[in-house]
Amino acid sequence: MHIDHQHVAGGPEHEHPHVHEHTHAHTHDGVAHTHPHVHEHTHPHEHDHDHAHPHDCGGACGECASQCQHTPMEELTALMKYMAGHNAAHARELAELANQLEKIGNHTAYEQVMAAVSDFEKGNLRLTAVLSSLEVK
Amino acid sequence: MCLSTVYKNRMAPETVAMKNVMKIDCRDGVVILTDLMDRTVAIEGQLESANLVEGYVIVKEAV
Repeated sequence: MHIDHQHVAGGPEHEHPHVHEHTHAHTHDGVAHTHPHVHEHTHPHEHDHDHAHPHDCGGACGECASQCQHTPMEELTALMKYMAGHNAAHARELAELANQLEKIGNHTAYEQVMAAVSDFEKGNLRLTAVLSSLEVK
Repeated sequence: MCLSTVYKNRMAPETVAMKNVMKIDCRDGVVILTDLMDRTVAIEGQLESANLVEGYVIVKEAV
């Protein structure tokens, strides 16, 4: 599932160009004085943050040399779990939509949408059962 | 509330930056994507468009 990774910076310790203002002593026409100057510098430094790390697996976890932290089964299970929860949320939204139809007096549409919600929940129940079997293994 | 696929610059199979993206943060010229497994990808650039019905997002990379 790793398709591409791009760093914000090269790693915890990396370099960025910085602009600093310095004052340098100069001599003009034999007279010494100072001027502020702006210079761009590069300083190595560290950032305390989480960041993605590079993968050269070309997007295929099967070819990834153990850099991925999750197995394909873990990923599929996580996706299934998300889908089941997502479908349940959609079922609730549809039920709410049905209630709105009932409120505006369209009882036939209300019944049809609620029937669809029931079908939706049946399908989701099947998904949940599959998910349970995946999690047991 | 649906997961999205994020593309760089244009929508094509070879420009997929991340799939199953559940969170997008934009900070300091960097778009940070987080997928369902909590992995992150950071792209220097800006959000160009997000189609929440079709479930895709396009990030314009900084040149």
